[in-house]
Amino acid sequence: MFATYGPMFLMMLVAITLASLFFIGASTLGKKKPTPEKMMPFECGSDSSGGRHLKLSVKFYLTAILFVVFDIEAVFIYPWAIHFKTLGWVGFFSMTGFLVTIVVGLLYCWKKGALEWEK
Amino acid sequence: MLLQAFAISPLLMVGIGAMLLMMAEAFSKVRGGLALGAAAVCFAGVACAAGVWMYGVETIPGIDAFSPWLRVDRFSLFFDALLCLGAGLSCLMAGGYLPEHNLDRGEFYSLLLLSTFGAMILSAAGDVLTLFLGLETMSLGVYCLAAFRRASARSSEGALKYFLLGSFAAALLLYGFALLYGVTGHTDLQGIGDAMAKGNIRNPMAIMGLVLILVGLAFKVSAVPFHMWTPDAYEGAPTPATNFMAVAVKGAAFAMMLRVLLTAFGDPRSASWASGWPPALAWIAVITMTVANLVAGRQESVKRMLAYSSVAHAGYILVGMVATMHSATQASAGVLFYLLTYTVSTAGAFGALILCGRRGAEAVTYEDLAGIGRRHPAAALPFAFFLLSLAGVPPTAGFFGKWFVFRSAMEGGFYWLTIIAFINSVIGAYYYLRVLVFMYMREPAAGAPVATPMRSGYVTAALILSAVLVIALGLTPTKSLSVVFQAAAIFGG
Repeated sequence: MFATYGPMFLMMLVAITLASLFFIGASTLGKKKPTPEKMMPFECGSDSSGGRHLKLSVKFYLTAILFVVFDIEAVFIYPWAIHFKTLGWVGFFSMTGFLVTIVVGLLYCWKKGALEWEK
Repeated sequence: MLLQAFAISPLLMVGIGAMLLMMAEAFSKVRGGLALGAAAVCFAGVACAAGVWMYGVETIPGIDAFSPWLRVDRFSLFFDALLCLGAGLSCLMAGGYLPEHNLDRGEFYSLLLLSTFGAMILSAAGDVLTLFLGLETMSLGVYCLAAFRRASARSSEGALKYFLLGSFAAALLLYGFALLYGVTGHTDLQGIGDAMAKGNIRNPMAIMGLVLILVGLAFKVSAVPFHMWTPDAYEGAPTPATNFMAVAVKGAAFAMMLRVLLTAFGDPRSASWASGWPPALAWIAVITMTVANLVAGRQESVKRMLAYSSVAHAGYILVGMVATMHSATQASAGVLFYLLTYTVSTAGAFGALILCGRRGAEAVTYEDLAGIGRRHPAAALPFAFFLLSLAGVPPTAGFFGKWFVFRSAMEGGFYWLTIIAFINSVIGAYYYLRVLVFMYMREPAAGAPVATPMRSGYVTAALILSAVLVIALGLTPTKSLSVVFQAAAIFGG
């Protein structure tokens, strides 16, 4: 077992050592001159304003989820298409059921306004 | 082909029904009928399961086409009916509760039905992959249901706890399955069982896998010490969703537990006191019953008390699970019967709790219920009745549920376990009766907020249905006993 995984553990050891060396080096060797300006919360150069607890509407995540769903659908369709002849009618109806389920989900999202960016 | 579709008609009914309901909710402007539609889908699922049962599922040619992924047998049909019944009662309660508390959003019903679908897959799964799919389908829906009151911090807190611990438990379960696959080379439960019987029982990796699976299962049935999420999630969720979690999710989790332990670890050496899972399960049962009952007695909120009571009931059911090591069929029949009586009694209790409150004055604490027996006897009477059934007072269903589980434990020779379980059900009676004391013998303090019962045909219908079942199971248990024995017969021996 060690012969197989040995190089991997060695690699991990090297990575951890190197990373901790950088961190320790930066914190012990580096010069520190804290000024009030440096310790302030940093927001792209300008003074930060407003509260921290905001409710944000994350538009892109619905689109991203839909994208993933249809991506996975494609992943399933390719092998199915290659074996289309051998799978026969059972395969055809299984895939139809799968697609119908996904289309129902899409219709639902559409109707509920998940695809509208401006709202 | 058509007969095979008939055999899985309960699943098809709930799955297609959920999608149709989703479409109806998205495209129609009518709001009212969703609860009725969802309840109709669930009860149609019960009817389909009963139809396949009576036709004789063994006689359907090609029924093995789905196995080992999906085992369509009397066991899974029993659970199809039980889970659909629990879901249907939750839908009826939601029809009254959601509009009353201004939560009436249609997603509730499709989420609940899809979750039921996952639960049914879970109870029929004969392969760890389908089992995991069913588990996740069920859990994802329930996480959303638990967080349904978006504006309430308590609801979000409970749902987040449930989600994190639930995912954690699912990961442990999956890790256990992966280790078993590594040892046996099988993902189907029967194959794992055969490979285990061939002498893998001493393999440390297999033991590790079994332990991880036991932890995952104990999380899902909310056994102590893996119950931390239960009171918060149950209290934060809207009451119909709480009922669904207590009834259907727990039922499906026990179905999974029975199938996994008796199929994959059912060989005489895994299922023995000396070298298997029964002692671990017995101690979990003892801790679960004792801790849950002691903590339940100290609660101020009735809903939280009912959450701990459902943990305690999981403990009683685990006593029956331990007894399966001696007589798989008889003890698991006891477990199934207990689940049936627990389902109808718990659904009734949550329904009655819903009936006791209205908008802005939801009945939550014992104080809220003070004196309601005199002011509104029609709301207090069903509550008292279902609590007596939960406490196990004859001639209600709850009494026979406990009777059969305890008897199978006695026959298995677990006298000490039975005595502990008996003492615990006596402790349990204290907090159930405390509700009755508050309802009938106390008056609210001057100026204290009092609960006013709501009026709803939906909730009343759910209560009548549960009450009829509680009485029927209590007075004539013979018929349903023969049903559970046929369902448990798949475990043979």
